[in-house]
Amino acid sequence: MINGVNNFGGIGRVGDLAGKSASSPGESGGASFSDTLRKSIDEVSKLQEDASRAVEDAMTGKTDNVSGVMTAVEKSDLAFKTLLAIRAKLMEAYEEIKAIQI
Amino acid sequence: MFDSLDISASALLAQRTRMDTIAGNIANMNTTRNTRGEAVPYRRRFAVFASGRPDAPGKVGVSVAKIEIDRGPFRKEYQPSHPDADKEGYVSYPNVDLAVEYVNALEASRAYEANVTAMEVSKAMMNASLRLLA
Amino acid sequence: MLIEGLMNRGNGALLEQVVNFASQRHKLILENIANVDTPGYRQKDLSVERFSSMLRERVDQRRRTGSASFDDTGSKVEYPMRGILFHDRNNRSMEQLATDMAKNAMMHNLAIELLRKQFQQMDMALREKVV
Repeated sequence: MINGVNNFGGIGRVGDLAGKSASSPGESGGASFSDTLRKSIDEVSKLQEDASRAVEDAMTGKTDNVSGVMTAVEKSDLAFKTLLAIRAKLMEAYEEIKAIQI
Repeated sequence: MFDSLDISASALLAQRTRMDTIAGNIANMNTTRNTRGEAVPYRRRFAVFASGRPDAPGKVGVSVAKIEIDRGPFRKEYQPSHPDADKEGYVSYPNVDLAVEYVNALEASRAYEANVTAMEVSKAMMNASLRLLA
Repeated sequence: MLIEGLMNRGNGALLEQVVNFASQRHKLILENIANVDTPGYRQKDLSVERFSSMLRERVDQRRRTGSASFDDTGSKVEYPMRGILFHDRNNRSMEQLATDMAKNAMMHNLAIELLRKQFQQMDMALREKVV
């Protein structure tokens, strides 16, 4: 997901945004928006775990690879920031939709 | 954390004092009279270091415990026409060996530089800690 | 408990211990460098291997049982017998000391940077804003 931010499935469909809850089933013919979101959260979580493990290894002396540790930490940091930015954009979109007068 | 700068500073002071005694030795290499004008040659001095700082009891560091006087034999040269020559015509010159003083000076300056580097490292570590707040 | 749990999430406690250890060891190395010309001086040090193995134990314990305390990883000052003993009974080695100081400082700064990153992330999450 981090590579394919452009291919955000379903963001164009207003109906999805308004109607989707965390447990609703996916649409036919493509991953649902909530599934994509959940997968990306899992990815961020995994990257953070990797970074945490790399930090542990470096601090206990198990590895000498300082650049590896910094890369892992930076990757997890960027992933987290991306997720945060997407969440902010989603909240914005939601507010906008809420404000539409029918 | 700021105590680490004091540790290195005490070493700088001690090495500087040592350097001063070496400089005094070299300057007085051929001094055959003392300050009162008597024919007593200059005696070599050297600094004795001791661990710990007397001005901060309980703190670590290094300081010059005392400036010892070298009781080695004088260097004798046969110069019967010299005003300070003794009965046999020998003049007593200070027991300062230039080679020894030179090597000691090198060592003192090397130790001085090492402590300056140590201070730089201490400052870098402190700055890194301060950046935690930024 | 909740707040404490949040603060101890991640590797904050581990990194803090490494920073403390590195600071203590730095002071000892400074003292050794200052006393390199003091006759009769014995070099002091903190054992890095013992500290690393203690950390490794705690980390493994945390992986197995889900939580471990990093609070009591204090180290004792020891007098390592390394290098040759000069005539004035000082086992000085400027090269060894300089190397030790450099490695220790780098570990310290690395731990501080990682700690900073961690705090930053938590800060971002709290503020719900990308800093």
